[in-house]
Amino acid sequence: MKKSFVLQIAALLIVSGLFVGMLFATNVYEDTQSRIVEVLCLSCIKLEPKTIKEFTFNTVDNAPHPYFVTENLTKGPVFLDYSEDVCAGCEIMFPIIKQLFNIEFGKQDMFSETVTFDHANITFIYVNLDHTIDALENSFFLYDKDGIDGLPMFTIVTLGYDHGIVRPYYTTLYGTLNVPTDANRASLLREILLESIEMYHQNKAGYHPH
Amino acid sequence: MKFQLKRLYFQIILFFTANLGAVGLKTGFCYPFLYCQACPSATSACPLRALENSVYKQSFEWRFLVYPLLIIGFFGITTGRAICGWACPIGLLQRGTGRVARKVKKHPIAQKLGKYRAEKYLRYTKYMMLIVFVFLTSLLIGFIFTDICPVGMLVGTFPILILNPGKFVPNYFFPVALVIFILFMALIFIIERGWCRYFCPVGALLGPFNKVSMLNIQVNTKECTHCNICSNICPMGIDVPNMHRDPECILCGKCVTECPKKYITFERT
Repeated sequence: MKKSFVLQIAALLIVSGLFVGMLFATNVYEDTQSRIVEVLCLSCIKLEPKTIKEFTFNTVDNAPHPYFVTENLTKGPVFLDYSEDVCAGCEIMFPIIKQLFNIEFGKQDMFSETVTFDHANITFIYVNLDHTIDALENSFFLYDKDGIDGLPMFTIVTLGYDHGIVRPYYTTLYGTLNVPTDANRASLLREILLESIEMYHQNKAGYHPH
Repeated sequence: MKFQLKRLYFQIILFFTANLGAVGLKTGFCYPFLYCQACPSATSACPLRALENSVYKQSFEWRFLVYPLLIIGFFGITTGRAICGWACPIGLLQRGTGRVARKVKKHPIAQKLGKYRAEKYLRYTKYMMLIVFVFLTSLLIGFIFTDICPVGMLVGTFPILILNPGKFVPNYFFPVALVIFILFMALIFIIERGWCRYFCPVGALLGPFNKVSMLNIQVNTKECTHCNICSNICPMGIDVPNMHRDPECILCGKCVTECPKKYITFERT
């Protein structure tokens, strides 16, 4: 048997062994699937979803709002910032969000804080899909109201009055919000936050989380 | 059945296999060729995207570095760059545009340009693309090849725009990516397999494996009459009689089928 053939077989066995080993010993398959294949980086597709800032009661598939949202709604509106590690759009939005709420956190952190915004409490939750827990990750699909499957994504949950019942009422914005400058982006977020605070004050008396 | 027709069928089957996402199959594998996970029907991830993830802004995620390299390594060791000639959907596209490119090749200006010695050095551009735009800019400034990839534009951006009319608008990368896409389209119509020859970063990853792959193409140099039919038909523009495990060879087998004396053969060594 030729020496080169033996070396080729040996290399093939090593590569195959390492590959199978990686599949079983690490989460690389699941991470590739969930982080790269199933969730789009909006800057990578060179597109921005047209931002429709209308609030809705209906989550995707009418799934119930997660516990961490319904509980935090007793304090004030909830702002969810969905991001991932490799995403130019997330990089653009990251400093805007930090400045808007006057908070400091790392890109890969799991971060949550109640912040004061225009004399109201807002629960800010940062969800980096590459470094998070299932409950937070699942909420990304729940609030993807336009079916974009893309990042960055921002969800603002407040309270609304629906046929005699006060329920969570939310809107979701995508990408860099389809406006040209950082000032415009901050201004748009501020406008929606003020609207959500107003709705919250109108409806909070009738809200019961469970 | 003719060999090249078999290859065409194989490419078409693999094109559909790469697009099983259309029926809901979204896996966690990486393609061993250049194809974008942003394609609405993509089955797997682009290997370049995983590589970019591995080093993005000094994040060093070794799993995303090793995983696509192992997949490419497996196919590289077994078949060398045959992936480019037999499986890559962009290779299939260039097979289609190759007919036009071959006509352009006969033009006197193209023939004159083809004689420049610089041409062979241009082929190193793809290695530079891999090192600079997939690794270095991703590592240092967070700029990734995926953001301007013409293949992503072709199979990701445009299908998304068509399938979701009025839902998306171009972002800040779109104008640059559009210019690159237009150049890409012009290139593949002017130069046969122009993308594979000069720019494909996945081709740069697979190319060196030709030196050690089990499957390769051998020329009987002792008997070869240097009629150059093989070189003229080669879509990668290789000097076939003088090649030995050339990193540019995509093992399409055109030289094998066209050699009148059958001095060129597929070998398993």
